[in-house]
Amino acid sequence: MESSAGAVQAPIIQTERLTKTFDAKGRGKVEAVRGIDLTVNEGEIFGLLGPNGAGKTTMMRMLCTLLVPTDGRATVVGCDLIADQAALRRNIGYVGQKGGMEVVATGRENLMLQALLYRMSRAEAARTVDALIERLKLTAFADRTADTYSGGQRRIFDLAAGVVNAPRLLFLDEPTTGLDPQSRSRVWEEVSNLNSGGTSIFLTTHYLEEADALCSRVAIVDRGQIVALGTPAELKRQVAGDRLTFGYDSEADVAAAAALVDDDALVLEQRIDGTALQIYVHSGDDALPELMRRLGTGHAPPKTVHLARPTLDDVFIKLTGRTLAAESETA
Amino acid sequence: MRDAYLIAKNELLVTVRNPYWLFHGIVQPIIYLVLFAPLLNGVSHVPGFPAKNAIQFFAPGLLIMNVLFSAGFEGFTLQDKVESGFLERLRVTPISRLALAWGFILQSSATLIFQSLILIACSLLFGLRLDVLGAAILLLLIVLIGVMMASVSFTLALMTREGGILAGITNTFILPLLILSGVMLPIGFGPPVIQTISHLDPFFYAVNAARALVNGLLTSVSIPEAFAVFAVLSAITLALFIRSMREAVA
Repeated sequence: MESSAGAVQAPIIQTERLTKTFDAKGRGKVEAVRGIDLTVNEGEIFGLLGPNGAGKTTMMRMLCTLLVPTDGRATVVGCDLIADQAALRRNIGYVGQKGGMEVVATGRENLMLQALLYRMSRAEAARTVDALIERLKLTAFADRTADTYSGGQRRIFDLAAGVVNAPRLLFLDEPTTGLDPQSRSRVWEEVSNLNSGGTSIFLTTHYLEEADALCSRVAIVDRGQIVALGTPAELKRQVAGDRLTFGYDSEADVAAAAALVDDDALVLEQRIDGTALQIYVHSGDDALPELMRRLGTGHAPPKTVHLARPTLDDVFIKLTGRTLAAESETA
Repeated sequence: MRDAYLIAKNELLVTVRNPYWLFHGIVQPIIYLVLFAPLLNGVSHVPGFPAKNAIQFFAPGLLIMNVLFSAGFEGFTLQDKVESGFLERLRVTPISRLALAWGFILQSSATLIFQSLILIACSLLFGLRLDVLGAAILLLLIVLIGVMMASVSFTLALMTREGGILAGITNTFILPLLILSGVMLPIGFGPPVIQTISHLDPFFYAVNAARALVNGLLTSVSIPEAFAVFAVLSAITLALFIRSMREAVA
């Protein structure tokens, strides 16, 4: 926003040892967030990815002043979390998991209340809300009560309420949980549009595809700590790269094929799985032709080939030994 | 204070669109008025019964009963707002916790005045003769009591977070408070123990004052007594509510 030449841009979020400990009845203390240091830059779509109970939501609630940290400090939109709460709240937007629409009021009435609470005059609020309703293509539903909305429509209104004050930073807690795929991509589209318009986004999700599709950087959170941080591509590169799987007719054929590529510089790691040979390489696209040529010189060329990119789930498995999908389902 | 007004207005809009809560409190007193007040006529000649006409005795107490059943259950609406994420949404805007708390209190007071006017109108149909100035002062007292009941209920709602627990606590306390207040029958009918305990029930003073006010006994000492009791109690409970609103992890 104020990127004057030469000036170093302050991060939109900066935390130092941010910690939250809850008193759990009869079970001592639960450390939901354990000393997280994090820097998020202006203009990013930053995602906290992790299973339910990892501490994502607690982290977010501290950053948007809903929870007081037990320890550590943070600045958000340049304001101290504790000392400068009022200015902080004016410059952020927040969309919680439940949204918080008053269901017997219309979408427009909900947005008007929100706008008036940001100290707009009635005329100013009406103008802002009209513009927002038009921009998010909500005109057809704006004057119906919120209990008539579909989950997807309600979610877009939630989003609208979160940006009534044109915040510099928008917090989204699990923005697409429980939505059908079509509504989900609609939400993604609007979030991207907001980001293109200059709003920084901080979101939590336990959907890998969401982090992958939407986020410029992702922090993987597990048990109250960040276990990995980077762009989705960087994180995926941390695991052993792409996986090529060559299928054979017999175990003897696999063993013979494995010997052929044993010393190849392209091969990071190889593993025999039944009658399949799995080879990890940095770049599957580049390695595949060369490996095909090499394996073709043996007495039994491969019958099938499969190229798989690593997913953020692979990263999670590598870092924690558990799969994210399984964790989320049992939680 | 504009914020408190905005919240109250929004809450009133919600109440009007979904008037269940508007009538939740008022239904019980009306049933009492229709079914119980005529029974009282039968005992109004018993020695010790304070009024010749049962309605003059019973109707003022009904207005106090309504405060218990109406403001005393306000916490449930607040719990809905925690559940829906509405309160959370507001708490991230620049609105102060104080304004938020006052907004809910204002809404509850407005609802209470509206309900009281309906009850007075119904009682007039049943032959109540009321002192207009006294009734106006009574409305002030009702608002004051309502602030206390709503504050208690709101605070419990934020503390318990669960409708079942809140309902349990509320129902457990409301019934003895109601009986000991002397709304139904004169406390003078009871044994000395009950008479003594009833003096610990703040609603005992409220009901006495309400009777004095409706019947035009404006110099009765019960009136300043009731205002004093509830000024103190309302101030304490309102402070508690504002504090829990500040701390609430909603």
